[in-house]
Amino acid sequence: MIMKRTVLFFIVLSCSIIGHTQQIVNHLLIARNLGEKVMHDGDTLRTFGFAQSLSEHPPIPGPTLYANEGDSVILDLFNVSQGAPHTIHLHGLDVNQENDGVPHLSFEVHHMDHGFYYFVAPHPGTYFYHCHVVSSIHVQAGMYGVFIVKPSDGSNTTWDGGYSFDQEKLYTMSEMDPVWHEDSVMDHPHDTTQSIHEVSIPEYHPTYFLVNGQSEHQLLEPDIALESAKEELTFLRMANIGYLANRITFPEALNAIIISSDGRPIVPAETSDTLWICPGERYGVLIEPLVDLTDAIKVSFVNMNTQFIENVQYIPVTVSGIIGIEEIAKESPFRIYPNPSSGSVHIASDGSPFDAIKIYDAIGNLVYVERQIIHGADDYQMNVSLSKGFYTIELLHNDRISASLKLVKN
Amino acid sequence: MKCIAISLVFFAISFNGLSTQITDTIYINSGVIQSFNGSNIPFKSYNNTAVFEKSNAILSYSVTDTVTLTVINNDSVAHQLRCYGLGVSAGAIAPGNQVDLSISSDSPGTFIYYDQEDYPNNKILGLAGMIVFRNSSASSFYWNLKEIDTLWVDEIINNGLTSTEYNPKFFLINGNHNPNINNDPMARVIGNVGDTILIHVANTGSSTHSIHFHGYHLELLQSSEHSNHQGRIKDTFPINPMQVLTLRMVPHQPGEYPVHDHNLVAVTGANIYPNGMFLTMLIDP
Repeated sequence: MIMKRTVLFFIVLSCSIIGHTQQIVNHLLIARNLGEKVMHDGDTLRTFGFAQSLSEHPPIPGPTLYANEGDSVILDLFNVSQGAPHTIHLHGLDVNQENDGVPHLSFEVHHMDHGFYYFVAPHPGTYFYHCHVVSSIHVQAGMYGVFIVKPSDGSNTTWDGGYSFDQEKLYTMSEMDPVWHEDSVMDHPHDTTQSIHEVSIPEYHPTYFLVNGQSEHQLLEPDIALESAKEELTFLRMANIGYLANRITFPEALNAIIISSDGRPIVPAETSDTLWICPGERYGVLIEPLVDLTDAIKVSFVNMNTQFIENVQYIPVTVSGIIGIEEIAKESPFRIYPNPSSGSVHIASDGSPFDAIKIYDAIGNLVYVERQIIHGADDYQMNVSLSKGFYTIELLHNDRISASLKLVKN
Repeated sequence: MKCIAISLVFFAISFNGLSTQITDTIYINSGVIQSFNGSNIPFKSYNNTAVFEKSNAILSYSVTDTVTLTVINNDSVAHQLRCYGLGVSAGAIAPGNQVDLSISSDSPGTFIYYDQEDYPNNKILGLAGMIVFRNSSASSFYWNLKEIDTLWVDEIINNGLTSTEYNPKFFLINGNHNPNINNDPMARVIGNVGDTILIHVANTGSSTHSIHFHGYHLELLQSSEHSNHQGRIKDTFPINPMQVLTLRMVPHQPGEYPVHDHNLVAVTGANIYPNGMFLTMLIDP
């Protein structure tokens, strides 16, 4: 039956993509149930999770998946777990019932079987994917990740016509209770003849409070910490897949604006230094610090029954310098020179290709587009005359953004 | 239909301009809930009849209605009835006594009525329901969210509440848990693609819930706690204790889709998955 669905889907897809720039996006997730996760205190918990290769323990959260709005997504779930069946629920993506991942209403994927999920990426935003088989256990065990839908052009924009930003960071909050990770809980009975499995669940007393799967000193790692330059616009994607509520407190100097939730814009946007995120919710927050800063985003984990704060974690924040003309350039395969420029502007490449340029002014207006560019191995002179000001230059290849560079024109 | 039926509206007695006079009666009853693990849990409810039902009556009226609500106390101790957000309250009603309340609302919305007597103990024992004023012919469904911590119930019934940590084991919608919520026609959303469907949600429990919809985003029409959130379109709606929400859904696709608390402890009951706050919506083409 799965194969039949696949063939039908490709026939429909091959007809529908003609004339569109959107793409077919394939993702593979391998469901595992013998993962190991080293916690901040050195203890190791058994986990379930989604990996993208058989040679690794499944990361927690699972790999972040991407598509652009309008892309046709094929998600291949390969169950190599020797235990319970698994599914992918595409949380918030509003897929049809067959692809919704609730076992008794769609299908479940058994050991050494593949299941394919198909959908067209909807509104740009932040979504979850997670297993929906005995979801209380399987989500706690680690079977979750984030699915990000970018705008149709893949740009650093919240949605088509939305806010432009310089960088984005994803923070996924969750917790772990070591008792739930014992074999007696994780190896729960699963009777595939039942439409709804009835499974004993322990009381929930989490002792690990996680941001991107990390806690305490682990949050000091560069991939977690928020680093920004002054006036740099950062889009924070914040998501709660735990069983406690999160109260997020931003340093006032970050000038946080809450602009979206659950894949939809918030109109009007809400200026607030405090944000509550309950289980299953996702929020988009735009920050633009104007001063140097060393501080932290405070993440309080709040018991849904008692309303008591059970734990607080801190995401380090460092703001220094002016938005990085040099810093950004050195991270990129492309470099703009001279910069600042009072005349012609060149783009040097390490050989990485680009075939289009978009230039935005300081307030985000698109002021110049150049397409069908054929450039040499390492240098391209832009054929544009710009007035004095501050510009963002996007380099694209096959309609996807390869780099976003800053230019000062004198 | 039993306890979940819309409160019996007896007659429209007279018209005063566009206002319709309605009389209705509600009974304060005491009984027990038999849980699925076999235990009996003492419980109190506002019911449509003098017979105890575990689900509090859902009172649903038009915004043009002026309701005279007779409250009859069938219990052995005094109780009250206060309409939170409507400025209506009855003082203590002695056992066997009754009072009449006049209730109306200029604007549509979802509200909570509850027992202010010995607050919050009687509310914890069950005495809290939902009152809705409507101005739409759209299909309406009603979810009264409530939890039960049997230790708290035991303490309140016997020696008074001393525990500080609330740790409920039962998570109910209109007094039911999964899969029985789907048998409640007031709770189970059934409709067609393109219908306008209103879902009235009241949290009369003591926990915060986070209600996640599969298949659809809904528009928040009313939030008693965050009026500035009105108009937001979401798939997950937190609701704090004593908060109400009114949600509007226009299904764009057919199918059977779950709705559940995404605090996934609350989809369990007596520590059994999935016997908690979980139901499905059935949308036909």
